[in-house]
Amino acid sequence: MTTAPLKLFSAFNSMAIPLLVLSLCLSNLCGSASASVSSSSETTMHTNNWAVLVCTSRFWFNYRHMANTLSLYRTVKRLGIPDERIILMLADDMACNARNKYPAQVFNNENHRLNLYGDNVEVDYRGYEVTVENFLRVLTGRHETAVPRSKRLLSDEGSHILLYMTGHGGDEFLKFQDSEELQSHDLADAVKQMKEKGRFKELLIMVDTCQAATLFSQLHSPGVLAIGSSLKGENSYSHHLDSDVGVSVVDRFTFYTLAFFERLNMYDNASLSSLFSSYNPSLLLSTAYYRTDLYPRQMEQVPVTNFFGSVMETIHTDHPYRYSKRKGSSKGKIEMSLDQAVQDEKRRILSNLGDQNIDSDTKCPMGSMIHMWNSILDEIEKFEDRDTLVYYGLVMMLPLLAVSSWLSS
Amino acid sequence: MAAPETPKLKPRPIVRLGILLISHNLVVSVICCISGIVALLLLPILAKNTYISENALMPGSANPMLSTQDVADANKLVKDLMDLKSESTSSDKMQRVVAEYISDLGAEVGYQKFYPQSDQFNPLHFFSLPDPGTLQEKVNCSSFAINVIGIARAPRGDGKEAIVLVTPYNFEDADLLDALSVGLTYSVFSLLTQVTWLAKDIIWLVADSRCGEYSSVAAWLRDYQTPVFGSSSAADSSTCDSSNTFYGLKDSSVIERKITDNFRRAGTMAAALVIKVIDKSEPFEDTLSLYAEASNGQMPNLDLINIVNYLAVHRQGLHVKVQKLTSLINAKWLTVLAQIFEYVGVIARRLNPQWKFGIPAAEYVDGTATLASSLYNQALGVPTGPHGAFRDYQVDAVTLEFSPKVYSMSKGRHKEFLVQGGRLIEGVIRSVNNLLEKFHQSFFLYLLTSPGRFVSVGVYMIPFALLVTPLPIMAASLYTKTNNLDSDAETNDLSIYQKSFTWLNAAKKVLLVHLWGAIVSLLPYAICHLGVSTPAMNLAVWSMLSVLCYLLFCLILGVRSAKSGKAQWAVLKSATLSAVFIGLCLMSVVNFATAEFGALLLVPMCLVIYPLKSDLHAGGLMNFSRMACNLALVLIGFPPAAFILLKGALDGFHSIYVGDFWIWVESLWAWNSATYLYITMIHLPCWLLCLHVLLHTR
Repeated sequence: MTTAPLKLFSAFNSMAIPLLVLSLCLSNLCGSASASVSSSSETTMHTNNWAVLVCTSRFWFNYRHMANTLSLYRTVKRLGIPDERIILMLADDMACNARNKYPAQVFNNENHRLNLYGDNVEVDYRGYEVTVENFLRVLTGRHETAVPRSKRLLSDEGSHILLYMTGHGGDEFLKFQDSEELQSHDLADAVKQMKEKGRFKELLIMVDTCQAATLFSQLHSPGVLAIGSSLKGENSYSHHLDSDVGVSVVDRFTFYTLAFFERLNMYDNASLSSLFSSYNPSLLLSTAYYRTDLYPRQMEQVPVTNFFGSVMETIHTDHPYRYSKRKGSSKGKIEMSLDQAVQDEKRRILSNLGDQNIDSDTKCPMGSMIHMWNSILDEIEKFEDRDTLVYYGLVMMLPLLAVSSWLSS
Repeated sequence: MAAPETPKLKPRPIVRLGILLISHNLVVSVICCISGIVALLLLPILAKNTYISENALMPGSANPMLSTQDVADANKLVKDLMDLKSESTSSDKMQRVVAEYISDLGAEVGYQKFYPQSDQFNPLHFFSLPDPGTLQEKVNCSSFAINVIGIARAPRGDGKEAIVLVTPYNFEDADLLDALSVGLTYSVFSLLTQVTWLAKDIIWLVADSRCGEYSSVAAWLRDYQTPVFGSSSAADSSTCDSSNTFYGLKDSSVIERKITDNFRRAGTMAAALVIKVIDKSEPFEDTLSLYAEASNGQMPNLDLINIVNYLAVHRQGLHVKVQKLTSLINAKWLTVLAQIFEYVGVIARRLNPQWKFGIPAAEYVDGTATLASSLYNQALGVPTGPHGAFRDYQVDAVTLEFSPKVYSMSKGRHKEFLVQGGRLIEGVIRSVNNLLEKFHQSFFLYLLTSPGRFVSVGVYMIPFALLVTPLPIMAASLYTKTNNLDSDAETNDLSIYQKSFTWLNAAKKVLLVHLWGAIVSLLPYAICHLGVSTPAMNLAVWSMLSVLCYLLFCLILGVRSAKSGKAQWAVLKSATLSAVFIGLCLMSVVNFATAEFGALLLVPMCLVIYPLKSDLHAGGLMNFSRMACNLALVLIGFPPAAFILLKGALDGFHSIYVGDFWIWVESLWAWNSATYLYITMIHLPCWLLCLHVLLHTR
């Protein structure tokens, strides 16, 4: 683990690097030496968002499951997660089903105002590709070499992942297609592997099936938050029937989740607890279940956009062209080495720091210093909890960097 | 330390239970028989409500799309057909009109010419479909009929599956109602050519029913399922003059249409609906009668009936009926029985409110009448309509018989009726269209007690099982008794030899009598070729030949036996019981309802049978009553007597004619009913064996 950042840093020919390497390696070593995975995730910051949206059931009469998933897809896209960070798995193609009265369209409401299957839908796994095996491969990142990047979950230690699943479930299982099932311990096992491989910082599992709560019973990994549509022994019901298409088009839990999100835009600060409290058992006809014991933060302080949206760090600079050019080159390097989560994370931090370094090199060091100070203040405002610790550490390193770069030049 | 003496071996519990049952065979028999009959009477109470088992069906989830425009077009077709009829146009002109109407919708149209086959008895055709090649020899070239077939292709379907609509229509002699049935189907078909949601092709068969509704549908199905490769018209032209191009020539004006003489096909059939409109003079509401029984008591999947019933009742507000034995509804004994059951139910509920098994007396009577009709139709093994032809190809089919209320018919208000019926058919088709596989989820073995209630196989097996249980027990008991009797008398080699010989002799007799039964079942084949005209004469010839055959058997093969004393009849009875048991169990697999009726007739007779002479010698009151009982049961057990009694009980005795039995039997073999085989190869021989026991002399 520790050799990877070393390799990476050798790509940068700067005198400041040894110091940085040392400090980063030290923190990394501490993380792995203590063997508590949670501490390492606490120290990393939330840098990106991913979503894995899974519809597990096929057949025409399960139209609503596809509509559920596509609705969620649309919502997370609207709230800022880009398509390349969404893994969409649809077990059947309702849009092109011969029974569909509206060919190539999928609706989640009988008013037909919104076609969910519009132009920009990227389905990553479709039809019979949606299997338990592929699902677990996506989560754990154990793909065959031929699998393209677009079909991989390239998350890292700073990722917040939304995992949404819908289909037909039962006591501690979720049916895939018509032949397989994912059991609660399969899911827990996959999550544990993800944790150990540093594939997420926080994970929100949202499941809309019958007896959804039972699917979470085996989870042990920290940083996991789970929401299910129903308790053990309860069914999840569909919300309404579209008598024009002739099928139920959306499930209750998903319908009310969407209703909650429709009121939000990506700058809203609605907390997870407000999402949870928006579920009304008398409207759902089931009891929504939240498992929060593995999740370290307070629900009231976590905005829903932490999972359903995307972090958007924009760093203001006076020299956009140079900045973007620099960024482009570093991005190219990232793409060369595949999905080593830790590398990715380190690289990210580094590229930011490097950019600022170069800024300070150029004509107006004071301006850049002020800008930096402002951004640091912003950061402090944003991350009040344990992230602040990390940031303070990083801030402390910046003067050191500046000094060393002065010296080298 | 253990004592070396061998402990007395205790037989295993199951053996001990068997011995216990055998030793108390009389009590067991009486209890089983009575409880079997009681269980049969309880079936209407044990009936459950039907439910849609297959998730994919989703009946009624979509709004019907049938518009008044479709109905107006259909009305025009009805008017055209009636006009043509009043002008006494030839039937082929009318067929062409129908074909053009279908073709105008953008559907493919084809004609099928066929020759009706004769109803001759052919012993080789049981349980097998007649080979089209052999059929050609017997067709009557002068009479033929032409089916018109329209196929609407599913725009985005894969073309591998199809749903069939059948409208029987007699092009030579049809009234307004027949034309309405064509109009009704046309309105649905015209809608289906426009919709975007079809996943299965729609086939509309206008079956030319001048040679019978069933035979026209069967002929079409036969051609559909057995494609002829190579020269397609070779088979036709070899037997009859080639008038196949008949339509091709006349239709030259409409050559651009998709009308051909070629036999058109779509995919495998998912389901079929036969649509009829008849006038039953319903006073208040439009009704829908369902007919589902196919040959040999086969039923379509219950889901098909369920969706039709659900949509008719809950969406279109039709009154749904299934067949009933109307004579049972007014039967005194049934009313009394119903009141008893209701009373017991009320008492039970008073004792414990959780027990809710009582049903109202009227409902019980109604349920019993429907159940009896369901059992009777299944037992007969004769399909109740053209839908029966589909079941031979494992296609689920049901006949929907609409009968509009008098009011709407008299005022000529067909439109409302057409909209209502059309929307029902559309709903059923949309539901079946949603289906992903064949119907398989719900029951195939069931009896209906009302359109919304059924008795499943697991429940109706119980009465039969109870009825046949005493047979092996009684047989075993009789056998052990005779063995004990013999071993008491003398224990030398000769007696053992004789004992086994007695047993062999009885078995031989049973076998021979069954062989005789098989020959009796084949006799009608010869009688048909004799050319005797009246049914009564035929019946007389058949019985004469049967008796003659039996006498021959007695003379040549001899039913002589070694003199082994009184035990001989008991061994014979034991063998008979075994034969009855095996026969009934076999029959229950083929056609359960037949076996049920057979068990009701045979089991009491076989259990009670006792030699007349012994009873006469004894002369007590018990013996006398047993004698009377025996005679009565043997009389009822004789198939023709049973038939006449049943017919008399249902229709009244004044209308009985001797030849009826022959006509009935003729219909059985014409429909390839296994009931015929049961009667001649199981029931009749067993009855004869019982007669043997009854008239035993030695």
